[in-house]
Formats: sequence, C-alpha cells, structure tokens
Amino acid sequence: MLELRGLSKHFGGVKAVDELDITVDEGEIFGLIGPNGSGKSTTINLICGVYEETAGTVRFREELMNGKQPHQRLRAGIARTFQNIRLFPNLTVWQNLWVARNSPQDLAAQGFLSRWFGATRRTRREIAELLEFADLEHKGDELASNLAFGEQRRLEFARAAAARPKLLLLDEPAAGMNRQEIHDLSGRIRRMRDSGVTILLVEHVMELVMGVAERIAVLNFGQKIASGTPGDVQRNRAVQEAYLGTSESDSPPVDTGD
Amino acid sequence: MDDYVITVLSNIAMISFIALSAYLLLITGEISFGQQAYFGLSAYAAGAATTMFALPIWAGILIGACVAGFVAMAVGALTLRLSGLYFSISTLAFAEMVRLILLIVQVQVEVDGEMVGPDGANGFHDIRWMFERNISLTEFMLFIYGLLALVLIALLLVERSRLGSVFRMLGSDDLLTEMQGLNTVRYRILAAGMAGAVAGVGGALYAHFTTYVEPQFFNVMLGVHALAYGLIGGLGTAFGPLIGVAIDVGFLEAVRFIQGYRMIVFGGLVAVLLIFMPRGILDEERVHRLKTLFSRWSHARAQGR
Repeated sequence: MLELRGLSKHFGGVKAVDELDITVDEGEIFGLIGPNGSGKSTTINLICGVYEETAGTVRFREELMNGKQPHQRLRAGIARTFQNIRLFPNLTVWQNLWVARNSPQDLAAQGFLSRWFGATRRTRREIAELLEFADLEHKGDELASNLAFGEQRRLEFARAAAARPKLLLLDEPAAGMNRQEIHDLSGRIRRMRDSGVTILLVEHVMELVMGVAERIAVLNFGQKIASGTPGDVQRNRAVQEAYLGTSESDSPPVDTGD
Repeated sequence: MDDYVITVLSNIAMISFIALSAYLLLITGEISFGQQAYFGLSAYAAGAATTMFALPIWAGILIGACVAGFVAMAVGALTLRLSGLYFSISTLAFAEMVRLILLIVQVQVEVDGEMVGPDGANGFHDIRWMFERNISLTEFMLFIYGLLALVLIALLLVERSRLGSVFRMLGSDDLLTEMQGLNTVRYRILAAGMAGAVAGVGGALYAHFTTYVEPQFFNVMLGVHALAYGLIGGLGTAFGPLIGVAIDVGFLEAVRFIQGYRMIVFGGLVAVLLIFMPRGILDEERVHRLKTLFSRWSHARAQGR
C-alpha cells in the first residue's frame, strides 16, 4: 500500500529522516513512534508532499509519489490530520466537511452546478453521517473556531474521512486528550479501518498506539531502530534505551518541537 | 436631485466596484495595493471601444472587464510565489507601471472629424456615449446601480457557494487548502481574475460617467482607499466594502464641517477600527451571528403560522 524506500530529509546538517524503509500493508493500523524530534512528523510531511525529500522514494499503491503536489496526493487517496489542530476557523463545521469532499469519486458524482453551488441530497446525507461519526450532530452550523478543543479534534478527523482516503495519516491525534476521549478515538480509528481505510498512526500516547496498532516502527534520530508487533517493540532493548536513555549516552534527544 | 447629489451617489456606486475588487482578494488573504490598475485599464479599454470603434456601451463594459480580468490573471500567475508584503509591493509596482504607461500612450483616430483616443498625459477626452444619446445623469446613475446590484448578487452567490468557502480557506490556511485536494494555484488565479473584472466594470462605468479619464486618477490612493473600505466595512460579507464606501464617500463627504479634514478623519477611523475590529464592522463572526439570528427568526415565524 505504502512503501518508503531510503527516504531521507536533511535540513542543512540535520538528518531529520535518514534512509527510512517502511512498508504499510493494505487494511492495517500501523503505528509510528519515537522520542521527540525523531522524525515522525517529518515522515508524515514527506508522505503527503509538504516537504520534498532529499533522497529516497514514496510509493503509494505502486505509484511513485515523488514530485507530486499535496492536492494530487490527496486525490490519489492520502489524507491526514495535524498535530496542532488545523481547521478553517471562519467556516462552519458543515462547510469544513463540505469543502473536504474532493475525492475523484465525489467529484465525478457531481455536475458543475451541484458541485459548486448546491449540495445534492446525497452530499447532505453523507455530511450528516460524518457529523454523527464525529459526535458533532448539533454543531453543524457553528463556526469551527467556536468549538471546544475535543470537538475540533473530532472535526479534523471527520474532515480527513470526508476525503474518502485509502490511507489516513494521523499525526498525534490523542495529544491533549483525556482517557475517555482516547477510548472514543481508538473506537473511531478502528471503525475507519473496518470501512477499508489503512491507517498510519504517529503517536506519543502509548496507551493508544499499543491498543490499536497491529505493527509498529520505532524511530530515533531519523532512523528506524525497531519494528514489529506492539509486544516485540516493547521488549526491544534498543527501544527501551531510546526512550529511557542509555548509561553511556549523555546526550539527551533534542526536542525540535516535532 | 441636483447634479451634486447624483454625482456623489454615482461615485459611491462606482468606487464600490473597486472596493469589492480589493475585498475579493482580501478574503483570499492577499493585500493588493494595485486594483486601481484594473479600474484604469478598463476605463481606457471601454472608452476606446465606444469612441474609437463606435461600439455600444455594454460591449465597452464587457471588453473593459475582460481586459482587466485577463491582465489580472496574468499578473496573478506571475506573483503566485509571492506572499504578504512582497505580494503587496509587487501589485503596487504593477499598478504604477500601468499608470506610467497610460501617461505615454497616444493612440488617436479621427471619428466624425474629431480626434479621439488616449492622449498621453492629457488623458482620454470626449468619452461622450452618454451625451450623444441624451441620457441624463439620473438615468446613468440608475444604470450604474443596476450593474452594481448584479455584481453584488453574483458575489453573494459566490460567497454562498463552495467557491466562496475555498476563497476564505485560501485566506486562512494555504497549505491546509492544498491538503484538501484543491489546487490552490488555480483558485488564486481565478480570484485575481474575478477581482480584476469587478474593478473593470467600475472603471468602464467611470469613464462614461465623467466622459474624461486621466492616468493621475488611478494613483495609489485609489487602491489604498479600496482596501480600507473592506477593512472598515468588514470581511464577512460582500456588503462590508459597500458600507465602507458609504461611510467614506457618503457620510464624510456629506458632513460639511469635516471637509478639509476628511482624510484625517478617515485615517483615524481606519486606525481605530483596525485596533478594535481588525476584520471590520461586519466580520465573519458577526455575519455568522446575524445569519443564525435570522434563520431562528424565520424559523419561529414559520412555526407561528
């Protein structure tokens, strides 16, 4: 489904991502973890085209993504959420979902007029379903800026779903969430997967990753140091050292706000 | 109505076009100091159409708006990679280029024994379409307001449409818009073209209302005012810039004791509003609240029946 081969991104002398090889299979929930600044967000930005890679390839469903614009990658089926919530604050919740429906499937189903000037009954029904999926049924007419934090996170998730992705990149979706919200989020992630969406989950909150991910890769200083099932990874010595530090290493991981 | 009142009212409407033009770019997050260039280009193009080629006025307006729109798209394509201050400066530079070029353009032809056409620094005289047909100022004013209403309705429809949402998305988060699968380059050029054409309609009308245009009128102060109207009136709806124009050209012009101090009062007003209402009187938040109130009211009324 998604193949990263020798993927590298260097910022000057800093190797944010270095020779990364990852394969995500269709229909799985794949976790990507690592300490702060280990290159997780950079990896996501490389996959969806925000950054241009220094070296290596990104293949999505056998197709080479290198050089493609973010909007082309979305139409190919890669959607994402952001670590720090990004919505369109001046649009209503409903409009935020409306404008996200740009999958080839939705574009083909609508004529010029219904695409731009009116929402068809089907569009309205599907947006209503998305609102329900995100527990935002009664918030459709609110401006996105007036939503509470948790609601904004759910709206972001629903908006990514509105693009009918084949691969969904979740960038720390549980940041700032309480237990109950994390529980709801794992349910939502599983429901997405069950509807046929492959998920790449970048996360700090171990409770979430260990709970939902089927396979995990661990990054440290831009390199993959381990991969396997959640159990394998937890027992891996290199991973424990990366998170807890080693006796001989006195340089702590640098936090680049990643 | 005396001629003075008609002139003020017509000015309000004609300036409204350029205010709407600047507003269209403001909601996409771009500050253009150069919309007067499209107003001016269209004034010249439309004037040339009706005087030199004896075309009817609707053709003149159409030609003016198209010339302005296509030039604006070309300029938009060239300045795509610029943002913020750099974009603003490039629009200003372009507008000054247009003004200086119009100062040297001399293309005169003989029509009915008289020389007509742009005459460099002397301006473009005798755009007499209105007088040749004995159309009164009042009638022409109504024509201007009719076109303004058409353009306003079109813009309000666009704002309700998905395209309107896309323009606001460009204004709040360019990268996120791209991430929704939308080609931001295409929409920015489209917005630039629409803004150019709207300014163009105003310019074409202006040339025929005053019968005389000179490059000096399309100086940077016109563009700065156009921007200020949106910022005063509000960026939440296309009515916003119209409120801005009405406040400046209508109210400040009408109140006699302000005369002579008009620019001082106007500048002060802009400064105060930018501090307390950075996105104008009718900003997105207030427009949304008004809409909610209205839909509740109409809902309650429908139930009351």
